[in-house]
Amino acid sequence: MSGATEQDIVKSEFRWGMVTLAAVSFIMLAVIFAGVAMHINPPSNIERINPQALHLSAEFTEANLGTKVESNGQVTARIVATQFAFVPRCIVLPADRPVTLRFASPDVIHGILVSGTNVNTMVVPGYVSQVHTVFRTTGDLLMPCHEYCGLGHSAMLATVRVVPKDQFRPGPDGRVSCADK
Amino acid sequence: MEPGDDGIQPEALEAALRETPRGAFAVAGVAVALLMAAWAAIYLFVFLPRGSIG
Repeated sequence: MSGATEQDIVKSEFRWGMVTLAAVSFIMLAVIFAGVAMHINPPSNIERINPQALHLSAEFTEANLGTKVESNGQVTARIVATQFAFVPRCIVLPADRPVTLRFASPDVIHGILVSGTNVNTMVVPGYVSQVHTVFRTTGDLLMPCHEYCGLGHSAMLATVRVVPKDQFRPGPDGRVSCADK
Repeated sequence: MEPGDDGIQPEALEAALRETPRGAFAVAGVAVALLMAAWAAIYLFVFLPRGSIG
């Protein structure tokens, strides 16, 4: 191979290197722009909880699970992810209104996503996972566990029932359940 | 033909080494362009409209 041909090949490889650098830079800039300008970031709530005493905690006792409208009007759903089910298995939330979902696990690492939305987080024992979102469409959305958690993992799923804002009517205690809808 | 002589002329070898990368870059360029277009379309029209969850 002559020196000129070798130079040609090196030049071509350098140009292709620039193309890949441009592609990676474009993706990085898009992600940084979405994070800085639009505040679209991964959930970053750091809040500790004793996984062995979830059922004794103030927040994740069985009676306090599910959807509740707080006194300030904030809609919060609390869910325990455990091998191999979500408690409760169905939650009701309003469309076009900010909602908060809070998860805790008493056993192993789980993960959740809500189909057709950006809701997606890990549920790690010892921490409360929290996401905020606004559901834009109504209907039953699937919420499966997306982190392998054991033999029953594939059967671990729940339903997020998104109802129109005017049909979301909490009871006197501020609670709404799928049995009401 | 002498042992070790594959019958390829040095000029033809030089020409092949110069021409071959163009086709490879054309195929790789189209593949990367399609991949980037698909990523950008999903990012702009699916991911961003769904909004923040943080």
